Amino acid sequence: MRLPFTNDPSRPRRRRLVLGALAAAGLVAAFGAGSWAAARAQAPTPAPDEAPAPAGTADHAGASGAEADRPRPGEVRRLAPAYVPRVDTGLVDRAGAPVLVSCGTCHATRPPDPGRCATDDAMAMHRGLVFAHGERSCLACHDPGDYDRLRLAHGEPVPFAEAPRLCAQCHGPQQRDWERGLHGGMNGFWDAARGGRERHACTSCHDPHAPAYPLVTPVFHPPDPLAGRGRPIPARGAEGGAHGH
Amino acid sequence: MTSAAATVSEPRPGPHEGHAVSYPRFLLRVLWLATDGSPRFYAWMTVLTAIALVGLHAWAVQVRDGMGVTGMTDHVSWGLYIANFTFGVGLAAGAVMMVIPAYLFHDRDMHDVVIVGELLAIAAITVCILFVMADLGRPDRFWHMLPGIGRFHWPMSLLTWDVLVLNGYLLLNLHICGYLLYMRFLGRKPDPRWYVPFVFLSIGWAISVHTVTAFLYCGLGGRPFWNTALLAPRFLASAFVSGPAFLIVALRLIESQGGFAVGPGPRRTLHGILRVAILVNLLMVGSEAFTAFYTGGGHAATAQYLFFGLHGHTALVAWTWTAVAFGVVAAVALLWPGTAAHPWRLDAACALAFVGVWIEKGMGLIVPGFVPSTLHEVVEYAPTLVEWQISAGVWAFGLLVFTAAVKVALPVLRDEPAGGERADASATPVASGTAG
Amino acid sequence: MATELPQAPADRPAPRRLPVLQGGVTRRTTVKALGATLGLAAFARAIAPLTEWARDIPVDRFLQRHYRELTPEAMQTLLRQLEQETREQYGAEVHIEDVKPTPGVAFGYALNLSVCNGCRRCAEACHIENNHDRASQESYIRVLEMSKGSMDMERGRVDYAGPNPDPDKFYMPVQCQQCDDAPCVKVCPVEATWKESDGIVVVDYDWCIGCRYCEAACPYHARRFNWTKPQVPAAEVNPDQAYLSNRIRPQGVVEKCHFCLHRTRKGRLPACLEACPTGARVFGNLLDPDSEIRRVLADKRVYVLKEELGTRPRFFYFFDV
Repeated sequence: MRLPFTNDPSRPRRRRLVLGALAAAGLVAAFGAGSWAAARAQAPTPAPDEAPAPAGTADHAGASGAEADRPRPGEVRRLAPAYVPRVDTGLVDRAGAPVLVSCGTCHATRPPDPGRCATDDAMAMHRGLVFAHGERSCLACHDPGDYDRLRLAHGEPVPFAEAPRLCAQCHGPQQRDWERGLHGGMNGFWDAARGGRERHACTSCHDPHAPAYPLVTPVFHPPDPLAGRGRPIPARGAEGGAHGH
Repeated sequence: MTSAAATVSEPRPGPHEGHAVSYPRFLLRVLWLATDGSPRFYAWMTVLTAIALVGLHAWAVQVRDGMGVTGMTDHVSWGLYIANFTFGVGLAAGAVMMVIPAYLFHDRDMHDVVIVGELLAIAAITVCILFVMADLGRPDRFWHMLPGIGRFHWPMSLLTWDVLVLNGYLLLNLHICGYLLYMRFLGRKPDPRWYVPFVFLSIGWAISVHTVTAFLYCGLGGRPFWNTALLAPRFLASAFVSGPAFLIVALRLIESQGGFAVGPGPRRTLHGILRVAILVNLLMVGSEAFTAFYTGGGHAATAQYLFFGLHGHTALVAWTWTAVAFGVVAAVALLWPGTAAHPWRLDAACALAFVGVWIEKGMGLIVPGFVPSTLHEVVEYAPTLVEWQISAGVWAFGLLVFTAAVKVALPVLRDEPAGGERADASATPVASGTAG
Repeated sequence: MATELPQAPADRPAPRRLPVLQGGVTRRTTVKALGATLGLAAFARAIAPLTEWARDIPVDRFLQRHYRELTPEAMQTLLRQLEQETREQYGAEVHIEDVKPTPGVAFGYALNLSVCNGCRRCAEACHIENNHDRASQESYIRVLEMSKGSMDMERGRVDYAGPNPDPDKFYMPVQCQQCDDAPCVKVCPVEATWKESDGIVVVDYDWCIGCRYCEAACPYHARRFNWTKPQVPAAEVNPDQAYLSNRIRPQGVVEKCHFCLHRTRKGRLPACLEACPTGARVFGNLLDPDSEIRRVLADKRVYVLKEELGTRPRFFYFFDV
């Protein structure tokens, strides 16, 4: 569930804050939903119809060896993929495992064509991709010069690991709230002096190609208020009936 | 200061016998008289004892298995017990309607039977205390509420006020009745200084008992249905319906079954009180209904639920309209000039009024205070068999106490020497003046 | 004066003298004695269930003093006893602590209604964390599905089944608001519930008499009563417990949300917050100007539930934008 993410002390502090979350937002435009699925297999992001269950809720405090990988006091871990996403080619290897390739594997020989972004042809190449992120073109986020990274609006390339910087270009208020701990959830310690915490990043919860939070089926339906009384309740009609219901 | 008491001069104490000897003898005498009577009396007491024991058993089961055996939920967290408790306090307070005419207005006829009212107060408060005990999830921790031993959250918690006023009212009435009977047992004339001030205190106390009980509910801002300044006056009005209604019937039973000539005077006076009280009560109920329905909005939800049902939930509608019908029919019957001439009609009207108020204060007031819940969920409540058993048991025990007390007190009344108590009555203001 | 008293009529039956004192046995006395014996036997039979019940209540529990009257040593003894009782009754090894509030900490909680999607994972996490009775599916949190454009809870509902979020609705979880002027604390007749220095309203489960006045007084449906003895399988018992929070409650007492004080007083976040998949929940120290909760209060338009009641909650709701 938890992805290791190491802070690079050489980075400016402000960038560091945004950093981890930026990572998976790099999944944005031109690679397939297969890669999204592959990334999600490792990242704590919601599957449709199932909201993500953040790490640390199930284990009881201090009960197990999970203590060891808890963030240290003051540490804030960003829960975001720190790798280049892979695309499912639809092939399987001899062991039956899907063959994954990086975006650049195909795009090294296929020059980008901004005009074809939304065509059926392009979608067919990116198996299962659902694109529902406004009117963006693939190249609004993906770097046509190097498909294994992203780029900001003014052309500055960013690695996938810094994807939140990209998201923040449009989603300013969310980014502001996220930085201040008011958006995106967390677990660990409220008191930084006594323990660290883990933070979700943009793509922990949002599919970059269809970022609207997925519909969920609520769990834990409220029971009948009389449920679970140790022993059977006398038939309610028996007494109630005499009084007009 | 203990239970009500005996009579007659037979095991008359020696002239210089101390109270340490005579008082236990008096109590034994009371116990003997309370358990002595005709076969019909024995049959009646046996039936009541049996019902009380059924209730006791049901309560023991409830304590063992938890309040889950009741129909109450986290949504409707008070039910039949607290409803009956509230009604019982009203009954106790209503008994003061015999004391006021007897002592404040020197109604001689009433003065002859005023002890019946005081005994009703004792029995009704006993019922109330038992209902509170029945409602406790942890009756074994009752001692936590004892001042000094536990932690008595006074004056902040209105429930502690209620504990004080209820027990105070019980002690006052026990003292008044016990003192008069003990003096009779000793063959002495009661000293007005030892009971008249307490009688006057009990009149004020009766009002406070029901006011405090109303404050239990009307002080809760989260329950708009209860959160009305009219609640305490309304409680008093309905108390002055239920108390006199019960006493009118009780006096007639005392006359017909106990063989004691009450005479028409007390019943006439109580009938007069009832005529006013039932109209005032109906006025207040109507006033509450108008405020709720004309204003509308969220605060009307409970009234809507009560009278017409809410979101398809209609459990209390039949109760409500029954109470309204009983109240209106009883009011018309009580005001009808011919009713007084027919004792049975008067009794029937009183029974209707009594049941009407019982519904109005219980199923019509305590339960709907929880519907809809504070988060506006509609969870309905219906008492379970266990709750009915316990409630019937408590009421049976209350009737048992009342019957036994009246049974003991009756000979005192019967043997009343001409001019004895009546002389007290006329001397009352002077006596209280000097005592005070 | 005594001469005014009437003499007993001559036709009164004989046993007017106290039989016990007189020594005479009459038919009536016999009948009375028989009746009393039968009555006592029936009485003993009627209260028999009480003896079964009393077996489960150790004398120590019965005589136990109020939480605030226990010395630290007495508390330690008590905690070990409670652990032992949990072992015997539930077969679970637990650790019960008495975690005290930290000076300089006052907890506040805020909930972002713009992002709550009504998934009820908070309610579920509460159920698991706090060792609630399994069969009744109890939880300190109730989530209301509210109509957009209305704050009227009359138009809300709790029994929605999804899929969520419905575009015409918003979702409002409600739990204890930890009021500064808490009606429940005011009304308790035995001081079994009170507000601690860090703002958490707690219950001494071993002092509560179960009158449920607090449940009637609470405007937020925050209190729960243990209608039966809670049942939790040993494997599911959360062993990390505190006296005033999630230890398994006795039957017949009231309980409520305690902001997971067994976690939060040790610096951790509450279970409902960690379970929230949308990050709608913000928790922290109101006295720390740099805390997230203070940022919410400073930057967001915040409201409290039923402000007109003057309860002054420490639980806040806000919308984005």
